[in-house]
Amino acid sequence: MAYNELIKNFGRIRDYMREFYVYGFKSRCDYDAKSARSYDNERRRIESFMGEYMDFQRTENGKIVFISVDCRSIPHNPLYKAFKAACFTNNDITLHFCILDILAGQTAMPLKEIADAINDDYLAFFEADHTIDESTIRKKLKEYENEGILESEKQGNKLYYRRADSVDTDIDSWKDALAFFSETDPLGVIGSFIIDDAGGVPEYFSFKHSYLLHALDSEILCVLADAVMHERIAEIKVRGQNSNHVNTHNVVPLKFYISTQTGRQYLCSYDLRFKRPLFFRLDLITAVTTGGRASDVEKHLAELEEFSSHIWGTSNGRFENSELEHLEMTLKIDENESYIIDRLLREKRGGRVTKVSDDIWKYEIDVFDASEMLPWIRTFTGRIAGLSCSNKNITATFYDDLEAMQEIYKEVQNDI
Amino acid sequence: MIFNEIYGTYYKVVAEIIDEALNGTLNEKRLDEIVSARAFSESILTIPDALKNGTWPLIDKNMQTPIRHSPSRPLTLLQKRWLKSLLTDPRISLFAPSCAGLEDIEPLLPSDRVVYFDAYTDGDPYGSPEYIDIFRTILKALHDHRKLMIRFKGHNKQGHSWICIPYKLEYSAKDDKFRLITAHMPHVQIINLARIDSCELLDSFDADSFDIPQAEKCTIIAELTDERNALARAMLHFSDLEKETVKISDSKYKVTLTYDRGDETEILIRVLSFGPMIKVLSPQPFIDLIKERLNLQENFCC
Repeated sequence: MAYNELIKNFGRIRDYMREFYVYGFKSRCDYDAKSARSYDNERRRIESFMGEYMDFQRTENGKIVFISVDCRSIPHNPLYKAFKAACFTNNDITLHFCILDILAGQTAMPLKEIADAINDDYLAFFEADHTIDESTIRKKLKEYENEGILESEKQGNKLYYRRADSVDTDIDSWKDALAFFSETDPLGVIGSFIIDDAGGVPEYFSFKHSYLLHALDSEILCVLADAVMHERIAEIKVRGQNSNHVNTHNVVPLKFYISTQTGRQYLCSYDLRFKRPLFFRLDLITAVTTGGRASDVEKHLAELEEFSSHIWGTSNGRFENSELEHLEMTLKIDENESYIIDRLLREKRGGRVTKVSDDIWKYEIDVFDASEMLPWIRTFTGRIAGLSCSNKNITATFYDDLEAMQEIYKEVQNDI
Repeated sequence: MIFNEIYGTYYKVVAEIIDEALNGTLNEKRLDEIVSARAFSESILTIPDALKNGTWPLIDKNMQTPIRHSPSRPLTLLQKRWLKSLLTDPRISLFAPSCAGLEDIEPLLPSDRVVYFDAYTDGDPYGSPEYIDIFRTILKALHDHRKLMIRFKGHNKQGHSWICIPYKLEYSAKDDKFRLITAHMPHVQIINLARIDSCELLDSFDADSFDIPQAEKCTIIAELTDERNALARAMLHFSDLEKETVKISDSKYKVTLTYDRGDETEILIRVLSFGPMIKVLSPQPFIDLIKERLNLQENFCC
């Protein structure tokens, strides 16, 4: 099939964009023979959308293509462009412009009149003999009604269609909000569509600690958000973290947990098989189907509230045993270092901070999985006067890592 | 559905071409120019031909169109639901958009169903009338290219006042804070909005004549060992920065990170959070900072 820069299968480009953006060290030969052709096409598409953000390096394994972006320096998430490249048929684009033109100015018309106008007034304008049948037009009208672009109203025995912009939103009043939320909201890509329609927005916002990758999971998030709103059960297909094995879960979607320090997004749900709250990474969800109405949503939300007061990130550790791990960390903080106390207070999550003596402060917490806390604990390296945890593996790992760091930096010194 | 051609670049570009045809100013050269400027880099191979050969019967060979009105599309339900969701976000009070047309629309995802679980808890006071007033004054200054007189308290609680050229309003989701980036000549100055006591609009400035503030960039080169899923975690964690990764062996990677000099301490603790999985190779002053922390820590180790 001839190459087309537009995208039919978003799932595939989602995977490649992630590879190029997050990792960026794989060459063509790191993909197997079957996917090498696919690699060529997807790379070409991504270069077509995002050429200005792409870079490459040559290694002994060949050319490596990657996306490198300093998020602080760009006003718009470039990954949104992938959502603006959906492929369509010749009839799709023709009907789009003809139908919206015919119904301009609050004209209401039934299918037959719309079809006649399309064929007699619009397509007859061209020399080529081109007509579009009524059933194709009916499907497009129905589709646009579902999208909220058209409204229909029964008059006599006929259904009349009109454009749905009778009471339209004052988008000018939204422009600053659009500029901000299109980059900070988890479904900001929708704002980006509105910005395109509005002909742009001011670019005086910039974004620090901005993780662009979430954009690629917008379709999955959108379907799950709808399930949350309408209290629907969802069947989700979840790929393994380190394998392509896919598991199916039936869940009640409850909330979304989002990391501001990695951009990773999680569905927080009640799993109907395991009968407990479970988190799923959105980037590992490959498909969602919504089903019947969920029961006991309020009860599950209350359970989640209790459960989430004892998680550091999104891991429930050995939740089956409901055993909480108690962790205590004491820090040496001098009198002129109140900013460290401020750090503890704003970063403590479910923990408690108490002053032990003039220069010693204690942090303690009870969580299902204290291993999630190790990266945060390490950020206090240099002032950790003591660390203890009911799970002895945590303290062992911390001190082993510390020893390993001291070794590797001795090596660095020796190297120099 | 988000992935839908109605939001696509091709539809936007064709709308612009039709508009040009309605104005009577479309010719082949102009058609190519619009496609080159507005669409993707390879769209020039598709769009002009599809229009000229009647595959998409919207423009004829004389560059005339049967379309009678300037193309437009009402907001879709998805777009309206997204806007409605924003009305549930506390930060919307900073903007005060019109809610007209959204009265009977249900939100797509209310903000109470989204948890930013690792965001810092001392975020800006979005409900404070004083804060909102300062935010809107700054937005106006940015919009109208006006200088600002800012009065604020420094870290030592001492009062300061500046006349500055506002450049950007920077937001960090992790800090949940806005910062104003100013060209306070001759230096770039960044100030947290929550520290500002008052600000006042002054005279306008010529936006084209002032130099855009440039932060000083630094680079570290590090070796990453892929144990305990460190590769995936680090690649994602540092993906907000300009970075380059090269595979050295099965489990070793060389990572180059570029950051603003003002963020050095933050980058230091982000690197420390990976423990021995990240070993910084250069520059030496950054390695010295790590060693300093390790030496201090050694005093506590049993």
